[in-house]
Amino acid sequence: MARSTSGRWANEQVAAYEYQPTPYGGPDTYQPGPRRGGAIPAPRQAKAPADDLQPKAAKTRMDEWMEVDFKFGGSRIKRKAVALVLLGIPAVLPLFFMLPALITLNSNTFAGSVDDTLGTGAEFCLILCLLITPLALLTGQHWFIPLRRWYGIMMAASGIGDAAAAGVTDNFAGGVFGRLTGHTFTLVGFMMVMLVVPLVFTSNPWAQRKLGRYWKRFQRLTYAIWALLACHLMLLEGFGFESGTNGSGFAGDGDPVFHQRFYQFSACSLFLLVLRLPPVKRWIAARQREGRNWLVWVAVLPLFALFVFGLIFIINEELFKGIDSFTEHPSAE
Amino acid sequence: MSATYAADGRDDTAAGKVILMISSSLAAVLVIAGLIYAAGTGQRHVAAMAAAGCVPSLFISGLPCTTGQMMANEYLAIATPANQQLSTDMAAYAVNEKSDLAAAKAALTAEAASEQAFDASLSAQLFTPQNMATADAMIQNATSNGTTVPLASALFSPQVTAIANRLIQANQARAALTAEQARSTSLTQLQSFNHRAEVASAAVGAEVNLIRKALGLPPAAPLN
Repeated sequence: MARSTSGRWANEQVAAYEYQPTPYGGPDTYQPGPRRGGAIPAPRQAKAPADDLQPKAAKTRMDEWMEVDFKFGGSRIKRKAVALVLLGIPAVLPLFFMLPALITLNSNTFAGSVDDTLGTGAEFCLILCLLITPLALLTGQHWFIPLRRWYGIMMAASGIGDAAAAGVTDNFAGGVFGRLTGHTFTLVGFMMVMLVVPLVFTSNPWAQRKLGRYWKRFQRLTYAIWALLACHLMLLEGFGFESGTNGSGFAGDGDPVFHQRFYQFSACSLFLLVLRLPPVKRWIAARQREGRNWLVWVAVLPLFALFVFGLIFIINEELFKGIDSFTEHPSAE
Repeated sequence: MSATYAADGRDDTAAGKVILMISSSLAAVLVIAGLIYAAGTGQRHVAAMAAAGCVPSLFISGLPCTTGQMMANEYLAIATPANQQLSTDMAAYAVNEKSDLAAAKAALTAEAASEQAFDASLSAQLFTPQNMATADAMIQNATSNGTTVPLASALFSPQVTAIANRLIQANQARAALTAEQARSTSLTQLQSFNHRAEVASAAVGAEVNLIRKALGLPPAAPLN
């Protein structure tokens, strides 16, 4: 993140590598604002060879405001740096929640709630990672783009931690490999982790330079992880139809629908998916060019409301399970 | 011509508009349905608990609920062996109270120990923060290990706990009396406690019947 905050918008190539890395979750174009060349799609060959190296969109007032630095303890810090750190903190919480159990090697806490704390944490980080592009598209602001990589890396850390703990502490038969792949939902989770590993190792400027134009395509594996996570959650809780032992909640819960992780994830994903569709992006860009951004917001509001609706339950789950894990009294829901 | 339209007049953004309209409408319907569903959460929770036989005061979100039947079974698991032991001790005392001071005292000491053990077992099921933490851990271990939730995790509801507290107090008084009786130095002194012991036992019996009633169990057969 420190690197990201030092980037300059005006320097094309340098800034591209300073800022662009977006690696993680990086399948998204870095320039979500109005497309150059009008609403008519330009011929493919007319496009820049790599989206990563395209000139930046114009700075918004907010971007400029964020670039201003202030004095703090004898040194000067950009507002953006503070904002990025603050916004990045939630991504650390899943690992932070598991820290006491790790330090005390509390296998009971790991067995009881690591999958929920780190698993839900990884889901939360992936959603935040995927949220960056739609937000940039809607607001035209870019100062928060570096968070995409940060959330992606923390998603990988949480996911790998979840898999590692599950491989050691789960009570499924078949040794470590059996514990990781013995059930359909664990197999899908294992596949996600296998995809996350190369992604996280290439989420740096050096790998971006080495992979060149293939880097962006490679980072699109994030979308595969996104789809696999949907499958994982679907299989985890009876295809979204079961409650109780094989589904969400327990007898007497009364809220099996809201507690279905697959539904929560789907509610969030609709907003993230729709705002990535090229026709929708074209429509939004056209309205923004016309100066009718309010229409975009009105059109997107229900999707965003649904996104928030789903995310609230995911955050609730993470905090509920995470605090239980932190106090080493794991919840076993 | 608006930038939205291509050279042939075709609206280039029509598809995006349609997609956005459909998805936003769907999202709006889902949000409204979600809010309506959320408004009924309390009622659904009560109905679901009733359907599952859960004790509302013992419900902990995210954990398997404790049912009235589980509470009753847990009480019986404590009371049945304790009653059997107590019957044996009381029978031994009845045999020896007029002839063998040492044996009668031994029977009374065993009886006092049985009464104390019953109180301790009952105390472990009371609705207290410490017991709740222990029960919570038991439930979580069982669910995370995929094993059956142990019966001992079924604590008493606050209502049953209030009765159980009175039962424990009455039984403590009886146990103290039994212990005092066991310190007798003669058979006459030993038998002089009998009436007070019967009164103490009647007090315990009254509380036992109350707790059994609260747990939906038939009245206990009186101990001799």
